[in-house]
Formats: sequence, structure tokens, C-alpha cells
Amino acid sequence: MDKKTVTTISYLSRLKIDSEKEHKIVKDLDNIIKFVDQLNGVDTSSIEPLTNPLEKTAKTRKDEVTAKNLKKELLEVAPSANEDYFLVPRVVE
Amino acid sequence: MTIKYKTIKEIKQMISQKDISNKEIVEEVYKLIDKNSHLNAFVTLNKDKSIKKAENLDNNPSDSSLAGIPIAQKDLFCTKGIRTTCGSKILDNFIPPYSATVIENLENAGCISVGKTNMDEFAMGSSNETSFFGNVHNPWGENLVPGGSSGGSASAVAAGIVPAASGTDTGGSIRQPASLCGITGIKPTYGRVSRWGMIAFASSLDQAGPMARTAEDCALLLNEMCSHDIKDTTSLDENIPNFEDSINESLKGKKVGVVKDLDLSSLDNDVIGVYESSLQEFVSLGAELVDISLPNLSLSVPTYYVVAPAECSSNLSRFDGVKFGRRSENPKDLEELYIQTRSEGFGDEVKRRILIGSYVLSSGYYDAYYKKAQQVRRLIKKDFDEAFSDVDVIMTPTTRGPAFEIGSKGSDPIQMYLEDLFTISANLAGLPAMSLPNGNIDNKPIGLQIIGNFLDESTILNFGHMYQTKTNWHMFTPEGVKP
Repeated sequence: MDKKTVTTISYLSRLKIDSEKEHKIVKDLDNIIKFVDQLNGVDTSSIEPLTNPLEKTAKTRKDEVTAKNLKKELLEVAPSANEDYFLVPRVVE
Repeated sequence: MTIKYKTIKEIKQMISQKDISNKEIVEEVYKLIDKNSHLNAFVTLNKDKSIKKAENLDNNPSDSSLAGIPIAQKDLFCTKGIRTTCGSKILDNFIPPYSATVIENLENAGCISVGKTNMDEFAMGSSNETSFFGNVHNPWGENLVPGGSSGGSASAVAAGIVPAASGTDTGGSIRQPASLCGITGIKPTYGRVSRWGMIAFASSLDQAGPMARTAEDCALLLNEMCSHDIKDTTSLDENIPNFEDSINESLKGKKVGVVKDLDLSSLDNDVIGVYESSLQEFVSLGAELVDISLPNLSLSVPTYYVVAPAECSSNLSRFDGVKFGRRSENPKDLEELYIQTRSEGFGDEVKRRILIGSYVLSSGYYDAYYKKAQQVRRLIKKDFDEAFSDVDVIMTPTTRGPAFEIGSKGSDPIQMYLEDLFTISANLAGLPAMSLPNGNIDNKPIGLQIIGNFLDESTILNFGHMYQTKTNWHMFTPEGVKP
């Protein structure tokens, strides 16, 4: 973990790191990664990853429309919207 | 007649005997909230609607199981028309157009949602120090943390303001604050309670549950919180028992697993003493202690700190300033809108976890970290599967010690992460687990953790209730033992 890696992952995360906090963040992340590195000592060959404690497959259900149309309510809580769309700064010139 | 420090069971009786009206109960709750404003347990109150619902109940009495019971809801559950912040600046103006299934279930059972409780930002923390709305204080001591992340809920119940609160638990966020505030709280089996309308942190670990004064009250609440919900694909379609039915069963011949490879070396002798004397109480109730081995238990915390940040970095990508929540002022383009909104809206701990998540999921590191952690997660679950072939429950201390002082963990995040040493494994394995008060150290409460087998909340609640018929640790309040 170094400054360059932190710059890359902060961009991937769409986060900007304040320059005065950068040193501490690099150090914290380095410590956390070193801490989780102890997993490397475990023999996991032939062990299937467990992504979720419920290994049963999710049940399917009939494809019925149950949701109400909440367009108005959802657009109302948006930071910026017109009567049909969420609005963001122009992306196409 | 007061409802301060009363249990749900006691309040139900007061209502049915007409010792108090529903309106008087709700009005007293708001007086208690005012008196305890220094605790900072609530972020948003729901006063007008609550009083109205109480008046309606007075005019049209209901026989619903929790009719008129005031409850504090963790501010992580979406509540229709009531601000829902998740302890974050990025949601400080968010008013959801719908309620979480668990909120609907509780309100349909008659509960009155009096307000939303403070919490660690996005449930990331073990001390309630990461909330945008400030620290929550523990009623057991001015400078003590209540634990986290459901710290406001725990503090409100411990102070006797409400008999019940909802919480959520991703790595210990119900059980650890329950331990530090001297109350009872249970994290059900993963999938028991719908996650629909719960703001997601780590989707394969998150589970909602009740926080109350007794195991019996937790059973009453859990009866209503659980449901099969087609809106949550991980919601289990399994039989939901009446959790009250078996709470009085004898513990005679039941087996308590005692983890022989548990590293207690970092604990104070007092903490070990409290734990060991609780085990003996269960022996005197007829249970048998059986040594079990969970060889991979010590890997729970590092496993969690790969899995949870990975899922959080993915879940929290939805907070982009476009569809809801706060948006930064005057971004020059769309990318700046995303970056500024997120950088201004998230606090340091949330950012740290998003960054770790992005790192362990990034190309070139995925196998080394994310896949590896999921493989170790299976080993941890396998250990539990084997242990539960021999025992009914497993017991450990809930926390490494009683409540600590605000600011005392310093700035090293790993010290805080180790707070959840004993609680995290139940989330990784998806198992139900409860914390209940089992002692006091320097006039600060501490809890015992009871972990149960998959879908077996009933046995945990049975053990908890029988313990509470024999001991009075759950009767201790910050003002002395309840009469």
C-alpha cells in the first residue's frame, strides 16, 4: 500500500482524499491490509468460497407486477429533477 | 404510574388493566427523551403521528400483540415520511417514500415508532463515535460509549426511555451495544428478518433484530419482526415458530458448548470471572458444559475486514448525489458531481472501508483477498456446523470488557475492529446470537453471548429467559436495581 495505490483506489471509489489526511489514510490502509494478510497462512486449497450463509438457491416467484408506480414520489426526493427525469450536469455537448 | 425501565410485558399489563392510557405512555416517552437529551440517542422524533396513533388506540382499543408499545427505530430503516439518515451527512435530508418491511411488521403489530435512533455512520463502528450527528452517551456513565453501531437504540432502552428498539447487526452491532448498555438483544439467523428497506452495508452479513430489557420481550418482538418477504430474495421461506412457546422449557440435559480455543488472554480477570460464573449458573439450571473446538475462530476479524468492506464499497456506490440524498454544490461536470458529493457526504471511517473494499476487489487482488476470505469464511462456518452436532448453544463473553471512554481507542482503526472479536463469527456463519447482561464490573454492565444453531432462535431465547428467571442482572439500571 502506497500513495500511488491509494490514488488509484480513491479514483475507483470516486472519492477525493484531502492532502492533509493522505498520510494517515495510507498508513491506516497499510495496517489493515497487513492485518488481513494473516489469512494467507491458511491452507484453503480445495475449499469452495462461501459468498452467502444461505446456500439454498433463491426461490423463484410468478412474474407478476406488484410494485406501484412511485415515479412522482421518487422524483420528489431527488436533488434535481423535472417531471420525468433525474437531472445532472450536461454530459453530451 | 411510569413506564420508565418497564418491560413490554409490564406495559402490556398496565394498558390492559387501564392503569395508564396509550396517550399517557407516549407523552411520558417524549418527556423522558427530553430529560435524557444529553445522551444524544435520537436523531429525529415522530411526535405528532405517535400521539395521534396513541389517541386512536385509546378510542379504539386493539388486541394486536404489541398495541401501544413505544419503540425506537434505528435510523438505518427507511420510514415513510420520516427522515432516515443512517447517521450520515450524505442522507441528512432524505425522507423515504416507503417503509422497511420490518418497520411495517412492527407497526402492524401495534408498535408506535416514537423516533429514529442515532448510530455509527452506515453502521460502521463499535462506539457510536462515527455518527455525523455526534456521539451517543451511555446512560451508565457520562463519558462512556454505548457501543455501536446500534448505540442510540441501546442507550434509549438502557435509560428506560422506551422498552424496545430495533437494531441491525453486521458484525455485532446489536450484541456489542447490548452488552455495553446492560440490555438484551438478539441477531436472528441470516434471512429470518427481511432486509427490504434496510440501508445495506454488507448484504451477506446484515440482519435486523430486537433490543429490549429481557429475553422474553425479545421473543415478543421477534415474533412480529420475522416474515417471509418476496421483496428480499434472501428472506427465508421457513416456518416461523412462536418464540414465546418454548422459553420456559427446562434446560435439564441441554448442552452448552464452551469454546476451548477461545483466546481469553487479552481479557481482564473480572471479565473472565463474570463469564465463568454465568456458565456455572447454567449448570445449576441443569445444562451440561461441553468443550468444543472452533479452530478458525481467531480468523473471524481479518475475514470480516475483507468481506464487509468489499460488500460495502459495492453497496455504497449508490450514493452518488443523483437520485436521493445530498448533492454537492455547483459541480462542473458529472464526474465532479459524484466525487464531490461522496467526498463531502461520507465520514472518515466510511471512506476507509470503501477504499479497502475497492482494493480487495480490484483486478489482481481479488483472488488474494476476496476469494481467500470467502474460503476462510467457509472454514469458520464448517467449525460451527461440526460443533452444533454435539451442543444446543455455544457461549462466549459478548465483549472484551465493559463500556470504554469516548475517544479512548485512539486513532488506530484495528483496535476498534477487535471490539467485535467474539461477535463477528456468527454473522460470517449466518447464525442467530444473543447478548444478555450477566454481570457488572465497576458499576458498568457486561454481557454474555449465546450463539444458536441455524434457525434455532427459540433455544437461545429459552436459555436467556431461564437465566433471567434465576439472576437479576437484567434488572440493573443506571439508577440501581429495578424494584
